[in-house]
Amino acid sequence: MVKHARYLLLLPGLITFIFFLVAPLLIIVMMSLYTPVWPGYTTDLTLQNYIRYITARQFPTLLSNTFFTSLLASAICLMIGFPFAYCYSFKIKSEKARNYITMFLLAPFLIDWTIRSVAWISILGDQGFMNSILLSMGVIGEPIKVLFTPTALFIIWVQTNLLFMIFPMNLALGRMNPEVIDAAKVLKAPPYRVFYEIIFKLALPGIICGFIFVFVGTISDYITPSLWAGGMQTIGLSVSTYATQFLWPQASAGGIILLIVSMAVLYILLKVVDIKKLVYE
Amino acid sequence: MKRTDILARVFMVLVFVVLYLPTIFLIALSFNTSAKITFPIQGFTLDWYAGPLKPYEMNPSYIPIIHDWQFWNAVMISLRVSGITAVLTCGLVTLTALSLRYRLVGRDILFYIFLLGFVTPGVLVGLGNLLLFRILDITITEWNMIALDTIYASSFGFILMMSRFDPDLMLYEYTAAALRVGPLRVFRHITLPLIKWEVLSAGILGFLLSWGELIRSLWVVRGTGTVSIFLFVNLGVYPLTTKWFAAGTLLAVVSIAGLMVMATILSRGAK
Repeated sequence: MVKHARYLLLLPGLITFIFFLVAPLLIIVMMSLYTPVWPGYTTDLTLQNYIRYITARQFPTLLSNTFFTSLLASAICLMIGFPFAYCYSFKIKSEKARNYITMFLLAPFLIDWTIRSVAWISILGDQGFMNSILLSMGVIGEPIKVLFTPTALFIIWVQTNLLFMIFPMNLALGRMNPEVIDAAKVLKAPPYRVFYEIIFKLALPGIICGFIFVFVGTISDYITPSLWAGGMQTIGLSVSTYATQFLWPQASAGGIILLIVSMAVLYILLKVVDIKKLVYE
Repeated sequence: MKRTDILARVFMVLVFVVLYLPTIFLIALSFNTSAKITFPIQGFTLDWYAGPLKPYEMNPSYIPIIHDWQFWNAVMISLRVSGITAVLTCGLVTLTALSLRYRLVGRDILFYIFLLGFVTPGVLVGLGNLLLFRILDITITEWNMIALDTIYASSFGFILMMSRFDPDLMLYEYTAAALRVGPLRVFRHITLPLIKWEVLSAGILGFLLSWGELIRSLWVVRGTGTVSIFLFVNLGVYPLTTKWFAAGTLLAVVSIAGLMVMATILSRGAK
């Protein structure tokens, strides 16, 4: 009876996920195999949508813009996020202070994405704060172009996604028993070995989890690159463009290719570490 | 205090400066008399917030925020969508996490299904739902946005909640059950008090993720939409003026105040 109740508890979540997530994904898979016939499609199955997408002249650019920018943004978030999570877990002792730090990390999220992004214009724009100061000091002769370049994209992405990197790492580091580190120190292990063999290895599930969160968050964001990186073309943007023209099979094929790219990265990352360890093992 | 401790704190402060730099400028420039987002600041005014409504002013970029009923309509929709998402996320995450603590048949598969909500690119979730509702001929309403936001927030909340469970929780539950206490009483008197902060955190997360959601919601929006969609659409059509910074400042101040209250409550309840 109790055992059955455990399965019953799963039902609401499972039904919701199957209806709003699994079923839509299956529909996209089917749609990507349909034959496009203007102004709609027929249900004859074909691989032409994929072949056309992959053999298109702009595909390598789309793929590299989508894949490498997300990978780089995730790496930057990791480089900033790991030291932050380390300081949070080992240097801040007061529970109260930790709660306030968590809340201050969350606060920028409640400011709308559009407003948060356009606020950078006041800092990085041609007539923004940075250029005004540098021009008035005579350091530069003309404004430095930062907005609408990949630099602006990374600044906005790091600001938006850093939280997703820090949270799982905080969880992993928070679970660490500090006595393990003390024991290593007593045994005269050099600091770099304590860091690598204990802290880094025990935090690895959190690091991978954070990396996945940021990578997936950035790879599916087609709006920021198109607006803030000078109209950078990505797979997500192409999916959106096809969809606005009601070219559903082509949009679906692009979407599945995006899913394959992100799943390939996730597969490699999950091979390195078992994410389940962070959750229930 | 050790040198490393000081360095650690300086680093954390620097990260916060980068995170909050746009917000600081957003607030400062929202009081600028000039409509242009440029430096130096021309003068101080509250007109972008509560100035008089000029007759025949049709461009939303120049209508003071207090008179912009479409903005307030979007705020109300956002509050409704995010509030319902928070409640649904709390419920789904709690039930799922409590169930998946046990070694159920197919637990790993179920785990990956729940993880799918976060790892699937948002553009796919949005497109898939749009196609699903077109095929089923279901009219798209606010509830579609709520469903998409709940899926997204539940995946994330599920991982966070499960990894924060008290390791001894199951032991207490087994002990109570061995003493023949009914499952509902066990849940009410043992489980819930021990996980209430995790449940609350899942709710906050649901609210936050829903509030800022754009990529998924854009596919299933009808009418004004949430604040995110309203601002995104308006700034794509109308010029960026100080009025939009005033709107952002209002949202920022209310959010930070709300989170401060939440931090105070959580500090009191911290184990």
